[in-house]
Amino acid sequence: MHRLHLTRRDFIGGSTGLWVAAALAPRAAQAQGTSVLRVRSYSDIQDFDPAFSKAAPDGDVARCVFRQLITYKSSASWEWRLDAAEKIDQVDPKTVAFTLKPGIKWTNGFGEMTAEDVKFSFERVADPAVKSPYKGDWATLDHVEVTGPLSGVIHLKEPFAPLWLSTLPWTAGTILCKKAMEASGNRFTTSPPAMCGAYLLKEWRPKQETVLVRNPDYNGPRPAYDEIRIHPIEDEKTAEIGFGAKELDFTGTSVSSLPKLMKDPPAGSKVEVHPSLAYVWLGMNVDVPPFNDIRLRKAVQKAVDVEAILQAAYFGAADRATGIIAPGLLGHRDIKAPPRDLAGAKKLMAEAGKSGGGVKATLAILNKTERLTAAQVIQANFAEFGIEVQIDAHDSGTFWSLGDQSKGDQWKQLHMILQRYTMAPDPSWAVAWFLPSQIGIWNWERWNSTEFDQLNTKALVETDTKKRGEMYVRMQDLMEESGAYVFLTHEVAGVMYRDTVAPALMPDGRVILPGFAPKA
Amino acid sequence: MLLFALRRAGLACAIIFCAIALLFGMIYLVPGDPASVALGPLATPEIKAAFRVRMGLDRPVIMQFLIFLGHVFTGDLGIDLFSNRRVTEIVFEAMPYTVALTACGIGWAIGLGIPLGCWSAIRRNTWLDRITGVLAVAAIAVPSFVVALYALLLFAVELNWFPAIGAGTRGDLGDQLAHLVLPSFAIGLGWVGYLARLVRASMLEVLGENHIRTARAYGLPERRIVFRYALRLAVLPTVALLGVGIGHLLSGAVFAEIVFARPGAGKLVFDAVVTRNFPVVSGAVLVTTALFTLCTLAADLLIAWLDPRVRADL
Repeated sequence: MHRLHLTRRDFIGGSTGLWVAAALAPRAAQAQGTSVLRVRSYSDIQDFDPAFSKAAPDGDVARCVFRQLITYKSSASWEWRLDAAEKIDQVDPKTVAFTLKPGIKWTNGFGEMTAEDVKFSFERVADPAVKSPYKGDWATLDHVEVTGPLSGVIHLKEPFAPLWLSTLPWTAGTILCKKAMEASGNRFTTSPPAMCGAYLLKEWRPKQETVLVRNPDYNGPRPAYDEIRIHPIEDEKTAEIGFGAKELDFTGTSVSSLPKLMKDPPAGSKVEVHPSLAYVWLGMNVDVPPFNDIRLRKAVQKAVDVEAILQAAYFGAADRATGIIAPGLLGHRDIKAPPRDLAGAKKLMAEAGKSGGGVKATLAILNKTERLTAAQVIQANFAEFGIEVQIDAHDSGTFWSLGDQSKGDQWKQLHMILQRYTMAPDPSWAVAWFLPSQIGIWNWERWNSTEFDQLNTKALVETDTKKRGEMYVRMQDLMEESGAYVFLTHEVAGVMYRDTVAPALMPDGRVILPGFAPKA
Repeated sequence: MLLFALRRAGLACAIIFCAIALLFGMIYLVPGDPASVALGPLATPEIKAAFRVRMGLDRPVIMQFLIFLGHVFTGDLGIDLFSNRRVTEIVFEAMPYTVALTACGIGWAIGLGIPLGCWSAIRRNTWLDRITGVLAVAAIAVPSFVVALYALLLFAVELNWFPAIGAGTRGDLGDQLAHLVLPSFAIGLGWVGYLARLVRASMLEVLGENHIRTARAYGLPERRIVFRYALRLAVLPTVALLGVGIGHLLSGAVFAEIVFARPGAGKLVFDAVVTRNFPVVSGAVLVTTALFTLCTLAADLLIAWLDPRVRADL
């Protein structure tokens, strides 16, 4: 029999090894036992009650745990497919009839989804008493008529063109369980009282991860993954490192990394670029000097070197915009943007009596790297023709109230704004912020056009797609003619994923998580 | 000793009150509207106004401050403007991650800094001492975010030794510790350098003291002299520095929490300030300030316990 000869060094080394093995064992077991998809979202979930949803990550989770009558297809163009609806028809411009698929089960014993749930959900968003920010998505809803346990009719007061593209398949089209909502006080934020989607919310660890598990009672196509883990990572570069460390299967990328990633993607991964729905522009406040003079505004339009901005701030990855509606959407302005015309700008400055320079203006931006870079290019451009620009970078808390007239007179200090909005895939979302009624709210340029307003009203109820598209093109023409806007870019959305994953994405690169599958 | 502890506790309460009052004033001086940020562009002015009334944001700032203080005494830090969750819950969810990160950062500093400083002092003016000195100064000089990025690229992306993002799986202590290694190293490395230099200087001073010379004359083993008699005294300034250092690490944790996508109080405060989420800012700062003052208090008490001369002065 050998005597065990154990030195102190052996003991420490051995126990450390055992400890490390024990620490790693659970992770190995987990990796073998279940199929897990790990995705990054740019922020944590905050509130995925469809009447109060805060941001895209809320919608991504809602799309997993709830259902809609119709939902977006994973496709290169904005198309929809049936989801909870077995059948849905536009009976006439003001009437939509639907029949639900039978056997859609709510969790927590709330039974089967019925047309009453659809009525409750849509009318709840539209109800002024609920104070939903998405009320406008059901702007012309009269009521939902329940014609049977699984069938109903949506009655509109007026035809509503965005219905099929940005209401039914978007946030406001999400169906909740009436009984469950009534039992829980008609409101939830991150703990839905009943779910029915392809996945169920298993756990939410704030700022860490949201864990979704396959819904065993889901009666649609079986979701491919047992579990989806959504990691909120705000910093895109951190997400890229996380992907490089193989801790994520899918992530969005930063625009600055795109050229390099496209050329040399990480091993075993794919990189894609999607057209974004965002629109970035340089706006001018038409109500205060110096840009209350249209000649100066027109001079600015000619003087800004948009191509230089795209190179400097977006690394050449984004294309130039011709309006606020992105390519591929109804109402996109398919024109060639004019090149920079410094001579023309100087001529207009002379006409305005400012040829000697001495014009000073502020440029308000959100303190993000690409905005600051773009602002610096604009500052250099303007210096060439006699406008001295002071860049005011603000954090988001300050920036988003700069043009809010209800906050006092600070809007009078706004001369130029480098602004970025995003939209749902219906053009009505893009133009809504530039209406006269939005002056002092979100129309920070304070541009007031009656024709624009009238066109918007008509376009909302126009059911002829061609005519409607022409109206939105004309509206953007008006914006450009006002001189108050320099359209810069729609940006791009880069995504990166493992080549073992087949992602399901909307045309702009947003995730449709229930459609993700391992690649065969 | 008890009187000393009570006096320090009273001072700690005053510090907490001042910090909160100062912060409350500062966040209201900065322009910005939480209603706009919370409700997004689709919210009408009426919806925003209703939100402000519901959250008490329409009241005078001083009233809001007094109401907040009143609630604090009942353990209620208010309601998060965005998620409608209790701030107490949110802060105490985030706090353990920051405390663990800070403790591990301090752990690196103590675990590496004190032995390195001690070693340098014992081998004074040898090449090992000089190399240690250069490394210590380099550790102080290199910004933490640079350490974080290179540590991530090397140990997470290239070598795949440690995880890059998150705080680990709940209930899996090994995974959680593995997730702590790189961020704590990033925030703790600078303090390794500080402690190494400080301990070296203190040790050199103590090793030249009469009682050490007497101990050597009595023929006590060098190991005993260093660890039992010299280090105990040399470590005193280190304890005081660590008390302050915890505050620095708590505030420095924010960058580690962003770079490593970890939850934590630093990032919680940062996000809340950006979005003007006043209840969360106030609640989180109250708790972190309390934690910091508690740490400095503990450091003071520890010094008093370690050094009989300090006790005698009380």
